[in-house]
Formats: sequence, structure tokens, C-alpha cells
Amino acid sequence: MSELTQKVSGQPIVVDQAVGPWKEAWRSFKKSKSALAGTFIVVFFVLLAIVGPLFVPQAINEQNFSMRLQAPSSQFWFGTDDFGRDIFSRIVHGARLSLTVGFFAVIFSAVIGSFLGIISGYYGKWIDTIISRFFDIMLAFPSILLAIAVVSILGPSLQNALIAIAIINVPNFGRLIRSKVLSVKQEEYVMAARAIGMSDARILWRHILPNSMIPVIVQGTLSIATAIIEAAALGFLGLGAEAPQPEWGKMLADSRQYLMTAPWTLIFPGLAIMLTVLGFNLMGDGLRDALDPKMKS
Amino acid sequence: MRNKKWLLGLFLTVILSLVLAACSEDDATTEGTDTGSKDSASEEETPQVLVFGRGGDSVSLDPAIVTDGESYKVTENIFETLLSFGDEDTTINPGLAKEWTVSEDGLTYTFELQEGVKFHDGTDFNAEAVVFNFERWTNGEAGEFPYYESMFTVGGEDVIASVEASGDYTVVFTLTRAQAPFLKNIAMSPFAIASPTAVEAAGETFGDNPVGTGPFKFVEWKRNDSITLAKNEEYWQEGLPKLDQLIIKVYPDNSARLNALVKGEIDLADGINPSDAESITSNADLQLIERPSMNVGYLGLTSTRKPFDNVLVRQAVNYAIDKKAIVDAFYQGYADVAVNPMPSSISGYNEEITGYEYDPEKAKALLAEAGYNGDEIELWAMPVARPYMPDGQKIAEAIQGYLEAVGIPSKITTYEWATYLEKATNGEADAFLLGWTGDNGDADNFLYTLLGSANIGSNNYSYYKNEEVDTLLTQAQTETDEEKRNGLYKQAQAIIFEEAPWAPIAHSTPLLAGKANVKGYLPHPTGSESLQNVYFE
Repeated sequence: MSELTQKVSGQPIVVDQAVGPWKEAWRSFKKSKSALAGTFIVVFFVLLAIVGPLFVPQAINEQNFSMRLQAPSSQFWFGTDDFGRDIFSRIVHGARLSLTVGFFAVIFSAVIGSFLGIISGYYGKWIDTIISRFFDIMLAFPSILLAIAVVSILGPSLQNALIAIAIINVPNFGRLIRSKVLSVKQEEYVMAARAIGMSDARILWRHILPNSMIPVIVQGTLSIATAIIEAAALGFLGLGAEAPQPEWGKMLADSRQYLMTAPWTLIFPGLAIMLTVLGFNLMGDGLRDALDPKMKS
Repeated sequence: MRNKKWLLGLFLTVILSLVLAACSEDDATTEGTDTGSKDSASEEETPQVLVFGRGGDSVSLDPAIVTDGESYKVTENIFETLLSFGDEDTTINPGLAKEWTVSEDGLTYTFELQEGVKFHDGTDFNAEAVVFNFERWTNGEAGEFPYYESMFTVGGEDVIASVEASGDYTVVFTLTRAQAPFLKNIAMSPFAIASPTAVEAAGETFGDNPVGTGPFKFVEWKRNDSITLAKNEEYWQEGLPKLDQLIIKVYPDNSARLNALVKGEIDLADGINPSDAESITSNADLQLIERPSMNVGYLGLTSTRKPFDNVLVRQAVNYAIDKKAIVDAFYQGYADVAVNPMPSSISGYNEEITGYEYDPEKAKALLAEAGYNGDEIELWAMPVARPYMPDGQKIAEAIQGYLEAVGIPSKITTYEWATYLEKATNGEADAFLLGWTGDNGDADNFLYTLLGSANIGSNNYSYYKNEEVDTLLTQAQTETDEEKRNGLYKQAQAIIFEEAPWAPIAHSTPLLAGKANVKGYLPHPTGSESLQNVYFE
């Protein structure tokens, strides 16, 4: 145990030696019950998104007005909505939409944010000033407002909602990795690399990037949760998914007039959003505890 | 550690319950003061202010330049017309004109005006004012006064040859040709008499500063929020209006509007979801109000755009949609399935047409015959609740499903309401949801207004043009024999049915709700009415 800890603090992480710290992180991750519960929820929803649509009982967009607003039963597990569509099937399909938006929005913003953050942290000076002020400006807006503005420009669709969410999350990643790069570039191994005349690109790629990735991974997991909520919020406002896509936020918006008469039309999509977000948050918290050396002492 | 967490949890629970308790107490106190002020109202005559909640904002407050119901809802209270409709029907009653006579040939109408009526700006209402208004409309540019053009021109010719003042309070109309619904037309909201002085002074901005003779004066207009009107103290009808102030507020969302009513923010709410009717009748503080039905909600198929330039595709759309299911699901019994472009209560309705039955197979066959290539169409859904269609988005989604089932992919598109109407007027929509509430209870006001080719660019949004129909409809306008006139309308409906420029969907009974203590409110079938008789009990 102590041997492993030493390795983390002193030396650069290179692929063949990296087994140690990762293993240790996993050990500490396993100890947290909430992190495991979160992982379980996430895995469940990911599986649901991938294979679920193959097994659902009904076509999701098939309208059947004679069966509208049916309460949950053995035929319709989660009841039916006002078009007589099976809510269970729609939620299963909706998992695919929500998770896709969550994952890809975060991947895009992590890639762009990391790129900008690394450049700004490593080169400093005027590049840093420009990029950092740009991030400040973006962070000055409430993020959902910024997303609404972006969608209004691009036009409402799920794909544009994804782009909007990706854009608004860029500064979060950028700032995070910039501060990490600022400390990593002072490390001896980076100095050494520079002293032996290694090129900037190689230093950035081989040394700085791998050693700055951990906070991004943690932040990424947590960001998926917010991205899913943001996508649902945009859908709720009519700026995300288009009819008849079974996006969870849109399902909520479409059913809000039935809050009193047919509550299942709202409860189940709401629960789906809540559970996925909870899952990603718990998992993200667990990852942070396990991966962030500062938290460990 | 564990113990501390437990303590923290307890602490949070206590705080939460305190906050909640504080909230509910707050409610109780506001309610208390509320009733207090109402009690004193009866003693001290505090101003009676009524707040009316509705779904969309007015386009302009100059009734002559608009065609939408939300504008008339307000202008009916500011302006008056020469003749007025009955409280709950479209019979002709005196308005600013107290009596009228018609010549034998139906070409000369003489109106005797009310004396002693003043506009809100203090100027006199007289024969000159009437002449000024009609001259303004006659001399308007093309499209400036859409209603005047659509009601009083036939084939580019003016129906009204001249309007002359003979004496201070007598106006004589001379027509170029007899017009059967002339008196009904004169009573319509757009032909309200505005103050000539104010029109000349305001010019283009008259719509923002309306001046009429009505029971209420214009005070303020906050766009997309509210319009405030105040009692006209010098109103010529004794004892009216009963309210001191009228605020007309916009709540685009039907549920939000009903919530505002339940919470007491507003006193009357337009556009109630049929699905909420039950919750209103079971609430002793509220009343459900049914507006007499005189409307049609339809899916327009722009006949100048692909694929709807082909009559087979238009018929296919009619076969593809199960209108009965839509009416049952989204109107919940407060509507009849539409077959013709006008409701059956209107004289001249063709009972023999039974409508397109729901038959997706036939629709597919027709599409194949038409050689439709499966291109995606734009399906426009109105952004606001309309009396003829409480939830356009939902109905659009249902139609999208039906069209998908026969192989017409569609994308639901929506714009802000004024833009929606403007773009639809320009013929930019493939298929669009829209509707019409009759203005005067005459068949002409449905068939000619909505489907006569002269009204392309105003109310004929589907760009339908058929010469035979045009001839029948213009003939009917001058035909004064009721029997023959109805015959012409029935023929026109038969052709329109075959050509299917629309998929008619429903004739709804629009629902409103009010606080139980609001009295004297009689919703008019035309969709707009003066609130001069309304009071709080």
C-alpha cells in the first residue's frame, strides 16, 4: 500500500507503471457503497439504452386513442400517455436519447475544453489572457440561458441541443485543466524533458496531457449528469427533441396538464431523469474520492 | 461521525418544516387581507377591476387593419359599430345607428345615428365621422384593410359606391350591387368607427393609441403581457360599463392560465382545456362558461405547394386522419367532427356531404396514384391555444402520426403567433393548422372569406382557387332569395369537399372559466364581446 502511494506522488505516470495507481483507486472506489450504487444505476441505464429498445413491447410512436391515459397495468407497465403510447417503451427509447446527448456533449466539451485549457495553461501570456477572459465571459451567463440562446440561433432539435450543451460546458473543462497544467508544468520531469530539448507538442502530448486527465475524468462523469438535466430542460422548453421523439424532458412537458388526472405520465419520465442523474453524480463523487490524491489523506 | 450525520439530518428537517410552515402562514395572511378588502369594497365602492386572461396578444388595436380574434377581443371594448349583434347570437341590433331603412332594390341603406355620442378624445360622433371611416377604408392601399377588401369588394369592384352624410346624424350608403349579408357585415368588429381626429393625428400608430366611442378607454399596452382599459365615464349608455378597469393579460399556456384563475390572479380565463372542465365544475369558487359554437378548426393544405398541388394527395390526407379520435381525445366531447368548412348551425350547410371516413388504405392507394415521392413536409402547429383548437401542438403530433402511417413524413414547425399568421398568409406553409371563428353568422363569412380566391393573401391561407366555386360564392352574395342562396352554397360545398383544400377537423364549443362572483358575462359566438355588462357580485 505505502509503496504504491509513493509511486503516485513522485513519478510520472507512464503506461506500463500505471497499473498500480489505477488498482489502488479501484480499491478505494469499491469501498464506497454509494459509488457502487451509482455505478450500478449507470450501468443499468447504459445497458437499457443499448439493448432495451430491442425488447420493448410496443412501437413507441404508435398512437392508439382508444387506449389513452391508461393507468399502469400488466399490459402497460408505466401506463399510457395522451396519445395512447406505452410510456415504458418510450422511456426505454428515451434512455438512448438522453445518454447519447449526455455522453457526446461531454466528450465534445471535454476535448475542446482540454485543448483550449492546455494551450492557455502551458503557453501563458496573451494566449492565456484571451482564452481565460473568453471563459470568464461564458461563465458569466447562466448556463441554461446560454444554451437557450445557442438553440435559438441553430433552431430547435435534439442535435442542436447537444451542440448547445457541449458549448456551455467548454469553460468548465478549460478552467479545470488549465489550473492542472499550471502545476504540472512546474514538475521536474517536465523541466527535464524541456532540458533535453523535447518539442512542445511532444511534452504536451506525452507528459502534460496524461498527467492532467484525472480531474477531467471526474468532472466528465459529473458533467454527464448536468448535461442530461440540461437536455431535459431544453426538451421541456420545446427547444430540444422534436415530436414525436420520446425525450424525457419533452415527455414531462407534454404531460404536465395531466398532473392531477394521470400522474403516471409525469412520474415515470421524472423518475428516469432523477435516477440517471443520481447515478452519474454518485459515481462521479466516488471517482473523485478515489482518484484525487488530495482527498485521500 | 454517523451520529453527526444523523443530527444534521434532523436539523435540516426542522429547518425545512419551519420554512414550509412560514410559507403556509404567509398564504393565510394574504388571503385574510384579500377578503378584508372585498368586504370594504361593498362599503366604500373600491374600484371594480376585472382581469381577463387569454392565450395570445393582440396584433394591433386598430380593428380595421387586423383579422385576428385576439385583437377584436380588446377593440370590441374600445370601439363600437353602427349595428351590433345580439348578446348571444348574430341577429342584427342597433348600435351607433339607432335605426335603418333599406330601399326596395337593396342598393340604398339609410342609417339614423345616435345623437350625443362622443369619442374618447372629446370629439363628436356624427355622420361626418362615419363617412371619414368608410373613406379611409375604401381608399386604403391593397392589403391595408384586409377585412374591408374581403367583405366589400367583389372581383376587384367596390360594393359600396358611396357613403354620404345627409344631415348631421343621417348616413346614406349606396351600393353598386345588392349584398345579402350587408347589415351583418356592417355589424362586424373590424368596421368599428374610430375618431377621425385621432386617426389623422396618429397616422400609422393609431393601432397603439386607439380612440373610439366604446365603454372603455385605452390606457396602456405592454406587448405580450397586458392591455389596460379604463371605464369611459362619458359612455352614452346609462349606467354602463359596470367595471372601472379592465386588464387583459396574456398567459400563453392553458394550464398556467387556469392556475392563475385558481390562485385569484385573474377573474376570467379564456381557452380552458376540455380536460380541465371537470375540475372547474367541481370547484365551488369557479364557474365554467361555454361559448356558443360558431367556428371551424382545420388542417390547411396549401394548394400551390408540393405535394398538395395534387388533389389526390389532399384527399389522401383527409382519408389518413381519424378526426373522430382527435376530437374525442383533445376536445373531450366539447366539439363536433367537421365535415364542411362551416358549422351546421349556419344557414346553407350541406347535410348531404358525410365527409371523408378514416381509411388509411385508401389514402395509401391515392398517394401511390398521385405518384407522391415521400418527401418530408412541414406541418405547422400554432403556438397558442385557440378557441377552435385548444392544443395545436398535440393535434399536430397526432396528425403527424397518422400521416407517418400512410407514408407522409412530416416535421412539426412552429413560429410566434403573429409570424405564423404572416407566413401562412404568404403561402409559406405546406400543411398548417388554423381555424376560424365566424364574424357574422353568415355562410359567406366562412366559404367566401376562407376559400374565395379573392381572399388569397388574407384569409384564404390554403391558396385555394377554383373558378366555379368563386362564381357560385359571388352569385350567392347578391342573391337575396334565401332558398336559392342556400342552394348555391350547397353546390359550392360539394365542390370544395371533392377538391379538399383542407382537412376540416372540428367545430368546437370553446370553454371559459371565471370566478363564481363574476356576473353578466355572455360570451358571444363570434369570439369577441364587450364586457360592459360584467360586474362582481
